[in-house]
Amino acid sequence: MKGIGRIWLLSLMALMLIVSTACSNESGGSNSDNNDEDSVTLTIGSWRTEDSANYQKVIEAFNEKHPDIEVEFKPSKNTEYNTILNTSLQAGEGPDIIHLRPYAPGLELAKAGYVEPIDGLNGLDTFPDETLQASRGEDGKQYGVPLNLSTTQVFYNKAIFKEHGLEEPKTWDEFIAINEKLKSEGVTPLAFGTKEGWLLSLAHGIFGPAHLGGNEFVEKISKGETDFTSPEFVKSIQVMEDLKEYFPNNSEGLGMEDIRTLFFTGQAAMFPLGSWEIEVLREMNPDLELGFFPMPSAVGGEPTLTTWVDGSFGINANSEHKEEAKKFLEFLTTEEFGELFTTNFKMISAIPGVQSDNELVNELSKAVSEYSTPYMMLVYFAGGNPSSKVTIETELQGMYIGEQDVDGVVKTLQENTEAWFEPFQ
Amino acid sequence: MQIETNTPIVKQKKTRNWKRWAIHLFPIPALLIFSIFIVYPLVAALSYSFYDWNGITRGAFVGLANFIDLFTLQPFSNMFWNAAKNNVVYFAVQMVVQNGIAFVLAFIIYKRIKGSEFLKIAYFLPRLLSVIVVGFLWKLILNPNFGALNVILGEFGMESLQKAWLGDPKTALMAIILVNCWFGIGFAMLIFLAGLQSIPKELVEAAKLDGANGANVITKIILPLMVPSIMIMTVLTFIQSFEAFELVYAMQGSQGEPYYSTDLLAVFFYRLAFGGSAAGDSTAVGLGSALAVVLFLFIATCTALLLKYMQKKQVEM
Repeated sequence: MKGIGRIWLLSLMALMLIVSTACSNESGGSNSDNNDEDSVTLTIGSWRTEDSANYQKVIEAFNEKHPDIEVEFKPSKNTEYNTILNTSLQAGEGPDIIHLRPYAPGLELAKAGYVEPIDGLNGLDTFPDETLQASRGEDGKQYGVPLNLSTTQVFYNKAIFKEHGLEEPKTWDEFIAINEKLKSEGVTPLAFGTKEGWLLSLAHGIFGPAHLGGNEFVEKISKGETDFTSPEFVKSIQVMEDLKEYFPNNSEGLGMEDIRTLFFTGQAAMFPLGSWEIEVLREMNPDLELGFFPMPSAVGGEPTLTTWVDGSFGINANSEHKEEAKKFLEFLTTEEFGELFTTNFKMISAIPGVQSDNELVNELSKAVSEYSTPYMMLVYFAGGNPSSKVTIETELQGMYIGEQDVDGVVKTLQENTEAWFEPFQ
Repeated sequence: MQIETNTPIVKQKKTRNWKRWAIHLFPIPALLIFSIFIVYPLVAALSYSFYDWNGITRGAFVGLANFIDLFTLQPFSNMFWNAAKNNVVYFAVQMVVQNGIAFVLAFIIYKRIKGSEFLKIAYFLPRLLSVIVVGFLWKLILNPNFGALNVILGEFGMESLQKAWLGDPKTALMAIILVNCWFGIGFAMLIFLAGLQSIPKELVEAAKLDGANGANVITKIILPLMVPSIMIMTVLTFIQSFEAFELVYAMQGSQGEPYYSTDLLAVFFYRLAFGGSAAGDSTAVGLGSALAVVLFLFIATCTALLLKYMQKKQVEM
């Protein structure tokens, strides 16, 4: 028995020796000849579980150029993504490539040192400066490659406009005249409801800039040179209240699905909402003749189309494969990716001038480069607890149900923001 | 019963000591699960509430600051008292409407009117649905423009009563509480029915022979004997009212919309601990933990007092 055992042991050791030399031979060989290096696997963390199939197409396109880099798209549930990501980053782990939330929440990770700066990455100069700003840290370094833009604007039903002899408004007064005419002819002008708070800051993002004077005001308030008590801002809140008469009956009880239904069934003429609705509306009613117009200014400025970056991709500072991750991010700046993205994801690519097969998306992409103004509450005022964005939502809701007045909205918003926004202190 | 248990013990005298010792092992699995999933989180929440939190990273020890903030710092203190007030309304209405109707229904079924078996099942049916499904269902019924309720009101020419039930702060909370009553009536009815059925028939008959009328039988015989089941329902309704969350979350979202009119303590807690409905909204783990501790202590104390009172009542009888 003992003898047999020894033989077994010896042969096992011999086998291990052979295997280990074979291994070292292999890796030695690949080092000398770069084409066949040990394949690297990159992981991408994201909250877009619904886009898994589309990302697979992106990865395939990337692999045509870099067959040696394997990429895995590993999304987690939208509402749990932040927690999962934060926990793994704190443990020194996490995906190699991180889908960063836009603006303040994503930059918090960079501030904590979890994201690798990517200044000088090939292709970053494709993007306009304001797009890059969504993932630029306080230290002035770039932490992410912007992925897509979202816009909010007024959609309209072309058939209803034609029937009532209306055209896209060029001034604020024309816009109000359209509302009046539709209302007097028995059509609900604006498909809008105030039951869900997030719709309210969104609508303020569309109608507000017409009275704030667009980008100039945003620049001033972000530096603390003016604040929410300024007459322009008070006016923008007042306008929100004035518009209520053009909302459907019982608008205080209507949520997202209700107003969408009112619009795509042709019961209301206009729909102030975001670019992501295009695909949904098309699915719900393929015959809907959908148009959009940028918001005409009430103070003699340019029309505005509210735009923001909806996410960026950055590199985990703890990643072992930073070089490979950079190659992937470089791919995300190419026009090839941009086209793949708009066609499959039906969203506006952050890369300027990319065409998709959806005409409306193309028109929006074009308009973005002409009239864009940031979604101020999201871009600059998403901080604080509760955030200023949530505060304006709740207070506007209070205003629509008669529990709050315009001055009260402004006062509460100002006080909330002073508590955390440094330029106001 | 006694004889049955005595005989085997005599037979197994030799192994008795070992068995006595081994019997203490059996609760261990359950105790372990209880400790990991109930005791540990409770202790953890208590310890979290004493720290400053920066997102999900723990900061310095701050003592009772989180508790003080919860009660004094705007807008949290306003939200706290508003939510607490709504919880009290929730409890009161549930007690009167849900338990009141349930008692009447239980009495009708107890009296064995025609079809009472069918009614018993019918009233209990809503309870079989998931709360989220109930929320969705009633959201459709209460929809101001397409919902069944307003359409029916319109059919009967009562357009003036049509309302945005869930959008108007005056009706939103009440609508949600009544939906919860609709959902909970079946369960309360079963508890009351069990209580009624445990009353000895002889007692009622004897009272009737002695000349007690219907009202007397109810107030002097049935109600006093029902005190245990009434107390159980009170305690259960109390706990349920102060922990209520799902229905508001399903129907009005985590902001307790509109304008915090349907905000409850548990919904407020959810907002603090997990961030609002907006993805990526900031959290306040310290304040959330403090609120959880306050809520736990409040419910535990009140439940203990209620149970104590209930025992006293039973003894008096």
